[in-house]
Amino acid sequence: MPFDQTVNIGSLTLKNPVLTASGTFGYALEYDDFYDVAALGGICTKGLSLTPLVGNAPNRICETAAGMLNAIGLANVGVEAFCREKLPQLRARGVTVIANIFGTTVEEFVAIAERIEKDEGVHALELNVSCPNVKKGGLLFGCDANLSAGVTNAVKRVTKLPVWVKMSPEAGDAVGVARACQEAGADAITAINTIRGASIDIEAQRPRIHHRTGGLSGPAIKPLALRIVWDLASALDIPIIGIGGIATAADAIEFLLAGATAVQVGTANFADPEAGAKVMRGIAAYCEKHGVAVRDLIGRVKRNGP
Amino acid sequence: MGPSYHLLTFEAGQEIVAFPGQFAMVRGATWGQAPLLPRPMSLLEPGRRPAILIKIVGEGSRRLAHASPGEPFDLLMPLGNRWSPCPAGQRPILVAGGVGIAPLLFFARELAASGVRATMLYGGRSASDLPLSEEVAEVSDARFLTEDGSRGTRGRVTALLESAIGETRGKSKVYACGPDRMMAKVAEISRGLGVPCEVSLETPMACGYGVCLGCPVKRTSGGYLYACMDGPCVDAAAIAWEP
Repeated sequence: MPFDQTVNIGSLTLKNPVLTASGTFGYALEYDDFYDVAALGGICTKGLSLTPLVGNAPNRICETAAGMLNAIGLANVGVEAFCREKLPQLRARGVTVIANIFGTTVEEFVAIAERIEKDEGVHALELNVSCPNVKKGGLLFGCDANLSAGVTNAVKRVTKLPVWVKMSPEAGDAVGVARACQEAGADAITAINTIRGASIDIEAQRPRIHHRTGGLSGPAIKPLALRIVWDLASALDIPIIGIGGIATAADAIEFLLAGATAVQVGTANFADPEAGAKVMRGIAAYCEKHGVAVRDLIGRVKRNGP
Repeated sequence: MGPSYHLLTFEAGQEIVAFPGQFAMVRGATWGQAPLLPRPMSLLEPGRRPAILIKIVGEGSRRLAHASPGEPFDLLMPLGNRWSPCPAGQRPILVAGGVGIAPLLFFARELAASGVRATMLYGGRSASDLPLSEEVAEVSDARFLTEDGSRGTRGRVTALLESAIGETRGKSKVYACGPDRMMAKVAEISRGLGVPCEVSLETPMACGYGVCLGCPVKRTSGGYLYACMDGPCVDAAAIAWEP
């Protein structure tokens, strides 16, 4: 292949740098009708908890300028049902599966990782230490370097899988938190999760989201995400997976140039179920046009002149 | 159809096989980054030229309503389930509030094609909130209600439901689509008279196929059902209606 699309996230080689983001792609099987999800660099599952969660009361979502707020509350089938019902199908299709996992305590993160370890078919774990929509855990971990490192370290001890840590944009010192995770053994950093926002219905004089705040995603957060990814890629040794408002190949290439080794397509999947496939094709076309392998784009942004 | 209601017909380029109650996710191909999300819309007609009925409530519906002829749209359809069939020996009573007429007119046409003329109770604030009323009258025994009395019986659409069910001596099945409060009332009356009732849910939705989990509706049995995958047509008794 003249313009190689593969990238390495630690020991894991991805077919290409395009993944679909947790919470925007279900368990990937839902997208079977749209395209071959096994062609993606990988899919990140809906956040898996130790036991099933029903999620928050409605309204859970609302649209904002070039973005959306969500406070789903991690509604998911639970790790056991995922491993039994979804994973065998994903394995049979040859899908690269990143299990996004969420616990309210370190012990829960560990228990979920241990359960996943028992089955074949998951290629990496992504620790959600940055969900803004649950009362316990979530942001509490992700905004604190010691807590984030503690979770990372505890999970690393019980799994052979690569461990990615999904960062919050709300950590005051994102580089500090990410570096602590790197030192605790993280194989990669995913940045960023959503950032908390709010919206008010002025006729009802109530918040549009029942949870009051929701995580803002979509094109509205892309510049913020790109800046954080760029900062992290400049400061860290482990790969960064860029996410935040990526809807097109051009968006994805910006993240690659800023230093991301791979990218995740999230909210764009809602506007266009084939967004991930289009981003993949667009990056390949860009590589062909510029005569480069995709790994030669990573971090190649040039400095402005004096 | 007046300032608030618009009928939008698409050239699909292929035959769309869809049933009454199913919906489409509709987004302008030229919208760019805003409005960002597609809008869930009940189908009014399937086929090569699928149609939807729009009521302007916000930016997305405004853009849809003011689309230019020939403007390109992305439509994902058909999604969700259909109205369940009306059992033999039961008369279908359709209860529509305003723009909620779309999936019920589609249903009334299907019923009429099979030789069943449904009872239709169709209400709105005023006469201008009863779009497609001529089409409705063609295929159903329609009774119109308006809150200001500008057309038909003065009052809410639920005012005639009890008598309509009574006329069938309880041998009827009620199908409702409209504002939540209207559907809750329809559900309550139907339950009180011991007739089955089905409603078509409307909630915000980002995807339309079970991924975003943005369309939960509280269930009587605990937890939530999802309007897109469990519905939009659901047994009214399954819903824990908000007071």
